[in-house]
Amino acid sequence: MSRIGVFVCHCGENISATVNCEKVAKITGELKGVEFATDYKYMCSDPGQTLLKEAIKEHKLDGVVVAACSPRMHEPTFRKACAEAGLNPFLCEMSNIREHCSWVHPKDDLTTEKAQDLVRVMVEKVKKNKALNSIKVPVTKTALVVGGGIAGIQAALDIANCGHKVVMVERQPSIGGHMSQLSETFPTLDCSQCILTPRMVEVAQHPNITLYTYAEVESVDGFIGNFTVKIRKKSKSLDEHICTGCGLCTTKCPQKKIPNEFERGLGFRPAIYVPFPQAVPNKPVIDRENCTYYIKGKCKVCEIVCPVKAIRFDQEDEIIEVPVGAIVMATGFDVLKPDFFPEYGYGKYKDVIDGLAFERLASASGPTQGEIRRPSDGQVPKKIVFVACAGSRDPAKGIEYCSKICCMYTAKHAMLYKHKVHDGTPYVFYMDIRAGGKNYEEFVRRAIVEDETHYIRGRISTIYEKNGKLIVKGADTLMGAMPIEIEADMVVLATAGVANHGAEELAQTVHISYDPYKFFAEAHPKLKPVETNTAGIFLAGACQAPKDIPESVAAASGAAVKVASLFSKSELTRDPLVAVVNRQPAPVYSQCVGCFLCQSVCPYQAIEREEIKNRNGEVIKTLARVNEGLCQGCGTCVALCRTKAIDIHGYSNQQVYTEVMALLND
Amino acid sequence: MQEFEPKIVAFVCNWCTYAGADLTGTSRIKYSANVKIIRFPCTGRIDFMILMKAFENGADGIIVSGCHPNDCHYSTGNFHARRRWIVFRNLLNFTGIETERIQFSWVSAAEGFKWADVVNNTVKKIKEMGPNENYKKIAVSTLFNEEEIINE
Amino acid sequence: MSELINKVTQLLNDKTIDVFIGYEKGSADRIRAAFARTAEQAAKLVYTASCTQNLAGYLMKHEVKKLGKPGLLANVAALRSIMQLASEFQVKDGEVYVLFANADGSFTEFTSFASIEAYLGTTDVGIKSDEQEMIARLEAMSVQERWLFWNKEFDKCIKCYACRAACPMCYCHRCTTDVNQPQWIPVASHERGNLDYHLMRAMHLAGRCVNCGECANACPMDIPLNLLTYQLIDPIKNTFGATAGMKADAVYALSTYKPDDKENFII
Repeated sequence: MSRIGVFVCHCGENISATVNCEKVAKITGELKGVEFATDYKYMCSDPGQTLLKEAIKEHKLDGVVVAACSPRMHEPTFRKACAEAGLNPFLCEMSNIREHCSWVHPKDDLTTEKAQDLVRVMVEKVKKNKALNSIKVPVTKTALVVGGGIAGIQAALDIANCGHKVVMVERQPSIGGHMSQLSETFPTLDCSQCILTPRMVEVAQHPNITLYTYAEVESVDGFIGNFTVKIRKKSKSLDEHICTGCGLCTTKCPQKKIPNEFERGLGFRPAIYVPFPQAVPNKPVIDRENCTYYIKGKCKVCEIVCPVKAIRFDQEDEIIEVPVGAIVMATGFDVLKPDFFPEYGYGKYKDVIDGLAFERLASASGPTQGEIRRPSDGQVPKKIVFVACAGSRDPAKGIEYCSKICCMYTAKHAMLYKHKVHDGTPYVFYMDIRAGGKNYEEFVRRAIVEDETHYIRGRISTIYEKNGKLIVKGADTLMGAMPIEIEADMVVLATAGVANHGAEELAQTVHISYDPYKFFAEAHPKLKPVETNTAGIFLAGACQAPKDIPESVAAASGAAVKVASLFSKSELTRDPLVAVVNRQPAPVYSQCVGCFLCQSVCPYQAIEREEIKNRNGEVIKTLARVNEGLCQGCGTCVALCRTKAIDIHGYSNQQVYTEVMALLND
Repeated sequence: MQEFEPKIVAFVCNWCTYAGADLTGTSRIKYSANVKIIRFPCTGRIDFMILMKAFENGADGIIVSGCHPNDCHYSTGNFHARRRWIVFRNLLNFTGIETERIQFSWVSAAEGFKWADVVNNTVKKIKEMGPNENYKKIAVSTLFNEEEIINE
Repeated sequence: MSELINKVTQLLNDKTIDVFIGYEKGSADRIRAAFARTAEQAAKLVYTASCTQNLAGYLMKHEVKKLGKPGLLANVAALRSIMQLASEFQVKDGEVYVLFANADGSFTEFTSFASIEAYLGTTDVGIKSDEQEMIARLEAMSVQERWLFWNKEFDKCIKCYACRAACPMCYCHRCTTDVNQPQWIPVASHERGNLDYHLMRAMHLAGRCVNCGECANACPMDIPLNLLTYQLIDPIKNTFGATAGMKADAVYALSTYKPDDKENFII
């Protein structure tokens, strides 16, 4: 027999003005199992809570119903008070007789009757409540950072500086990401390398950071605080520990005509190479697809010239397993491929290039040592047409979003060009100029006013080559769609930023969701911008959506704080309102029949397979099991389960059934 | 003769409609007292059997409400619920149960007015339809069954 | 017939299977399911036009599971049952030997799920025209007429659960009907409990029913139970693009979703 206490709050006059609180307490006090019932002016006040605590002790209550405001408001308050009085907090429920009753109905008997009904429902529910204990999950205080661009670097350094271990995985031979390709950065025009490379070095030298370059995430298992990550360290064909990074091999490699990805194809590299001079780690890798030895079976020049004998042609990929407690995804973005713009001649004409290639042309360490020379004949272009929104905001191209960074970098390109080629004329075709951000609008103004960039509002219809010139045809929509034709020497397309190649597969490997453009999805667009729907996995930078450097860094620091707060305790405490699969003695083991239809409804991959084995180790039954660390308590699996084998604490089948019964049978 | 006061039970999710109904209260928007709310974590949790039980035990109408598509606190619970209701309504209709007695809605935490409208319109509709006679008749036929005794 | 017997005898002899589920003659010349474990038992197997029962349901019975690796004489419904059971992780590829009875009386071996899927992809799996007519007739009625129709039908139900026992998809060890905390479904066979039971069963089979019709065949009170689940087949196919029992790795229609699933009743 239950000993339940009912506490009816007047909330000043908020409730008592329309509900007869004394009557509610009196009537519900007569319900079976109710030991004590009272009403009070302000239950949430200190004397009110004391009243509650005293009653729990005095009447030895084993359940509490507080009829007051919304549980969304004061459920934590009263549950805490119960806990302080020695009653399990999950044996306390609230009836919402303010928001759902006194405030929305007039003063009459029906309103008081409704309040009684609402209390009765909760009294019956509390009878079915179970004492629950918070779930404690141990936390491995090591973070995995996937991606070594500026976002990954920032996140890794922030976490490492909090005193936690970090494992960084980078797919390329060097960290640095797209930022290392940039010449100068907006809106200050400071040199990208100058601000980035010290950070790269810091990562490599930080005692808390383990760096794996030329490596990829193979699989992720586990859950928040307890992930197991398999990392594939691709073979570099060289012993990193021996290699001194002297670079002799890269100069002697006979294979010298491989288009250099880092230079966006504007230069060449050998088969054994370091992607760029400031690379971290500054040790080469062999590109097996283009290496003469791997293609033809002989060459080995690098092995012969290596003074420390570090080359290992037979080295194989290595898979290592690391336990981590949190994961930061910082895999960045990509830009649209050339085949996207047949009408612009991108990929067909050598002098139609994308923004990243222009960065390389303008970079002092680039293929032209920073001189703006067009790729086809090395001439200094006198007229350059910059095309903003090349692909972005174009539903016809399937990219409806704004790539956000292009307005700014196009203005920067125009300025850089003008600074280097004083008699040159930059044109910018744009749709709108979006320069929201600190000092951003001023920057674009400078490009227009000081550097005399010709901004033309309109789209380009076509580009074709004629007598060594690129004829750009478009229209100026601010001049009544006046047709415009420019004989340009070079065209730079501000191609849309898109999800990095392999983003979809990686999201599936890591178990996070992604949007229709394959950018990783945040848990909430406003309030949880760096979290994912998978607890313990966070986002940083442009893997989520196109972002500029300041935004990527800010997001990375945000993600790092989330990781640091997760690592601030050795155990994670969670509300126990999670799903649970029923277990029974042998030979039944569980009502679960292992159909796993629940598995695909779970938004959190919290349903696992559990194998019941006999003494001989043979599997005799496979059951679903809920991972308490992952389950967020939505209960979708519970509603789907045919055998009622899965139930959920706090909203159990017994509880909701009883509520319906109590509500309708008065 | 006394006016028919329907019994209506509302099954709502904690994150959107429950909060929306809270807002109705905070905004002091009035609605009919016939509707009583039972809180669920998510529309995904709402079992069709709970709806069956409500009808059986004398509900004249039912409201099922949760977050708008794409707003689910658990990201996909309401999508699964929507599929379930599409199928369940088909089945109810085929077995001759009036699907009009169940009102499905999406009410966000900001839609206090909408919640009051949903409630008032449902009460109005159920008043027009009258008591859930079909179910009440089969309930009478089982007055003397063992179930109530077991449940005690 | 001898082709079937020879084949099964050979399968039993070379230990490809431990038991073959087929048909044999029962009393009064009726056909019943047979479980042949020896050559003598295999010799009694028959295959006639009356052999229409979906035998796949027996695969899930623990008495049959105990007998070892099964072989099954399958019709189209049985093939679909196996596919659906596979998608629910109840049978694994290679665990069941399937002998399919062709319309011309010959038999085809299906040794892998892929081959069953390929065959089903070219087969008409729709419901029969008389059943379609019955559904159309019911749908043409008013809601109240339908209520009275089913009220009358469910009133006949004696809760013998033969429908549940016959259904290849009702393989749960403990049906919701048997759950008593809470007592979702009243135990007694009165109108209310019967309605509950049949609605529950139909919902649990929605998107899983392979329209074999065994539930209605098994019903001693001749309730056209199969119509309840049959009429959900088209809406599920048309709205969600899903048909049960066609692929071994299919995702259950009700445990997935599309963000733009269409409905017209949610305000």
